[in-house]
Amino acid sequence: MSWTGFLSPSWAWLFLLIIPLVIVYFLKLKRPRCEIPSLVLWHSVINDQRVNSPFQRFRKHLLLWLQLAILLSLILAAMQPFLRGEPGSGDNLPILVDCSASMSAIDTRGGPTRMERAKERITELIDAALPGRICLIAVGAGARQLTEFTNNKRILAEALDTLTVRDVPGNLVDGLRMAQALARRETIGTVTLVSDGNFPDLQDTADGQKIARVDVELPFKLQYEKLETDAVNMGITAFNARRQSAAGAADSLTPWDVFVRINGSPNDVTSGEVLLEQDGQEVGRQPIALEAGQSKRLVYSLQTSGVSRLTARIVSDGFDGLSSDNTAYLELPVSRSLLVWCDTDLQSYRHALQVFPDVTVYPNDDASGQPDVYDLAITETTKKANPNLEASVRLVIGAIPEDLAQLVTTRSGNSPVVDWNRSSLLLQHVNLDSIEIADEPVRGDDVLDQNFREAGYEILATGRSGPLVLARHAPGRQAFYLLFHTDHSTLPYRVGFPVLIKNAIDITRHAAGLAEVRGQPTRVLAPRLLDRNTTYSVAAPGSPTQTFRTGPDGLLSGVPAPRVGIYRISEDGSEVARVGAGVLDAGESSLASADLIEPRDEELRVSASTTQIDTDRPLWPTLAWIAFIVLLVEWWYFQGKTIRVSG
Amino acid sequence: MNTASSTNQLTTLLDNQALTRLERLRLQPNRRKTNRTQGEHASGKGGSSTEFADYRNYVPGDDVRFVDWNIFARLNRPYMKLYQYEEVMHVAILVDASNSMKFENKFERARQLAAAMGVTALMGVERVSAYVVGASEEPPRVMPPSSGRASMRRLFDFFERAECGGDAPIDGAVEAMLRRHRGRGIAIVISDFLTPASLARPFNLLYSAGLEIFALQLLGPTEIDPELTGDLRLVDSENGTTVDVSSIDELHGIYHEHREQLQEHVRRQSRTRNGRFLSISSEAPLDWVLFDLLQRQGWLK
Repeated sequence: MSWTGFLSPSWAWLFLLIIPLVIVYFLKLKRPRCEIPSLVLWHSVINDQRVNSPFQRFRKHLLLWLQLAILLSLILAAMQPFLRGEPGSGDNLPILVDCSASMSAIDTRGGPTRMERAKERITELIDAALPGRICLIAVGAGARQLTEFTNNKRILAEALDTLTVRDVPGNLVDGLRMAQALARRETIGTVTLVSDGNFPDLQDTADGQKIARVDVELPFKLQYEKLETDAVNMGITAFNARRQSAAGAADSLTPWDVFVRINGSPNDVTSGEVLLEQDGQEVGRQPIALEAGQSKRLVYSLQTSGVSRLTARIVSDGFDGLSSDNTAYLELPVSRSLLVWCDTDLQSYRHALQVFPDVTVYPNDDASGQPDVYDLAITETTKKANPNLEASVRLVIGAIPEDLAQLVTTRSGNSPVVDWNRSSLLLQHVNLDSIEIADEPVRGDDVLDQNFREAGYEILATGRSGPLVLARHAPGRQAFYLLFHTDHSTLPYRVGFPVLIKNAIDITRHAAGLAEVRGQPTRVLAPRLLDRNTTYSVAAPGSPTQTFRTGPDGLLSGVPAPRVGIYRISEDGSEVARVGAGVLDAGESSLASADLIEPRDEELRVSASTTQIDTDRPLWPTLAWIAFIVLLVEWWYFQGKTIRVSG
Repeated sequence: MNTASSTNQLTTLLDNQALTRLERLRLQPNRRKTNRTQGEHASGKGGSSTEFADYRNYVPGDDVRFVDWNIFARLNRPYMKLYQYEEVMHVAILVDASNSMKFENKFERARQLAAAMGVTALMGVERVSAYVVGASEEPPRVMPPSSGRASMRRLFDFFERAECGGDAPIDGAVEAMLRRHRGRGIAIVISDFLTPASLARPFNLLYSAGLEIFALQLLGPTEIDPELTGDLRLVDSENGTTVDVSSIDELHGIYHEHREQLQEHVRRQSRTRNGRFLSISSEAPLDWVLFDLLQRQGWLK
């Protein structure tokens, strides 16, 4: 194997241009005319034998040689010669490119971002891997295949140009799984990962290195090209608020405790100020100084009278490597009473709900003011049985979901509670021991707990013959099913019953965002309850407006939020909601980087390649420079100072 | 010295101060080539000047006016007194007016030097004739032999009206001059001597015509040291022929060698015929040339 090669040897036909160049040189050599008194002396000079010596003959046509040198340099540059590095396999090579938030970090003040450095490195890798086929995969919150396997350098370069950083945590597993999927239909020997190593859940090894564990089997060799990182950063990793417990729904001003968590990078001490703005007005400013790797939580207290939008900003005293995590947004909802529907037959529940001051129970005597959507519905019917009853949280008493009719039935009998999930939100602090239940849910033959999970249900309590309490979680919706009727049990007479109601109220309050609000992280916007079957447009920062349509349940879900900023949701041009999203990820803000990647099989631990692949070194820039320099020499040599003899 | 332009000047070629100094100078030929006509140059015994030379015996038929009667009285034998014979010397001034002299003030300086030489010769009571040769197909412009101070105006007018242009080579110019010139003396040839032909023939013709050769070569600064670079097409100003030269700056050394060879050739052709040769730059100061260089070289005294 030779130590050089050409990426575009077909351009060698350009060597034919030498022929017209020589012909044109001799036919059309244009020399400046210079009139002199007499040619006598110059004839003698030209006739001198030394002038016609081989060297002088060469000098005589030096212009031709220089032009040939320029032409040859340009032709060779067009053929794209290169010095061979490590031999390319010629196989298919997927290149995973980390485009998570940390890739927009700058490691030195005024320097390039990590993504810019990654692109340079990938360009080298592409040059080295050609003529093999390459597939570019962007790894952000998920994996996106940027190109098919191709050896078309233009397509790869264009895909690389369009690659931008997304303000989301990286998900290496998704990228590896996509490569894994590609390996099923293409022969893949090696997968190259270009990243700064900022992966979630990094762990320290005994020798002080950081390791990222990925739950993926790798049917290929993983080449981990780690970018050099040395950034200092301070970022907001959590932004939430909790309504002060003393507040009641009737108060005109709602007091909130706002919590901002700031994480520093593990490299250096960081300091600055954290500003809190409420509806554009600064309401708090606290200085902060963090030791290396330290995290601090700042608390602000404020009051709201309605919907209030909060913005937290970090103003760093020194160099801050990552700017996208310096801003976070939070929307505090208006304070109101919980709207609870409780069937009139469920007197025990209605009675228990009376002790909560900020709960309005329906149906009530005021028949005209019934809302369309309730926060909590305590009912004896399922959603399918009563589709007009809309609620974020539904507590179904004594009914079996229609889709579980084949799995469980109810019969009369005595069914003691065998076990229950004491950590579930609904049943925490609820003692179900020695409760007598007259209805006995019985699971079908050969029905396992797994069948319930596959149907989307979580078993919270189990009786002797089957599940007693089920939970179903869906985006924006929660439903709890008590498969026995509490009126046919001793539960309403136990202390656990009001605790159960309290837990349901707390779940509802959290679901309605009335008790605690969390900052919206990037990736995907939280589902939002809007009008049913309506088309909404979402204007994202730095992205074109996209349209989404709500379903029959009125939920707007699946809206991607790849960038930090305000997302405006509008219907027919009028804004109906505004959501701010921030990075809010401790891993991204720490800018820590993994030295090792450990797949499921530890023997295949992959270390970062500190000595990068010796890629092919393209020579065309050198040749282009040579051509340019020769051109300058020619210009200087032949077009320089010329004295004309004046008459 | 700048060319005089004031109305008080005798000529536009030379200023009065230079003329005054030139009047005191004389041409210094290596050998006195004179004519039989009486002039200022002593040519040997038997002349009629007042300069005593020798005695000889009286022979019948001698002019008794030259018998030394004092000797006759003492010796009683007649002896004849012999006196120096003074003859006139011709100074022919030939100015090359071909196209090559147009460059770099060469023709202007040639006219000035010719006028200066003519003044010097006229003030030395020589017979001065002048020839300006430009085109080969045209007869040369001629100033007939003149002498005496009164001819200075004529000399100045001749050179002031002289024009440059033509393709006459210097060897042809010499032949054209000799077809009209009569008389022995000095031939002052002012040219750049850039001719492909050998100068042996024209210099032989001058020598055989009894003219001592004063060859004065005028070269422009760029002819002495050409600062040309790159690839050029050189065009001959006289005949329009061209020659392509590449990397001309690399040939400067060879050019100097050939220029020096040409100068040595002219010098040798002059010396072998008891002549003089001098090469000067057309940009050299005229005062320095006339009153320093030419005197140091023995041309003038």
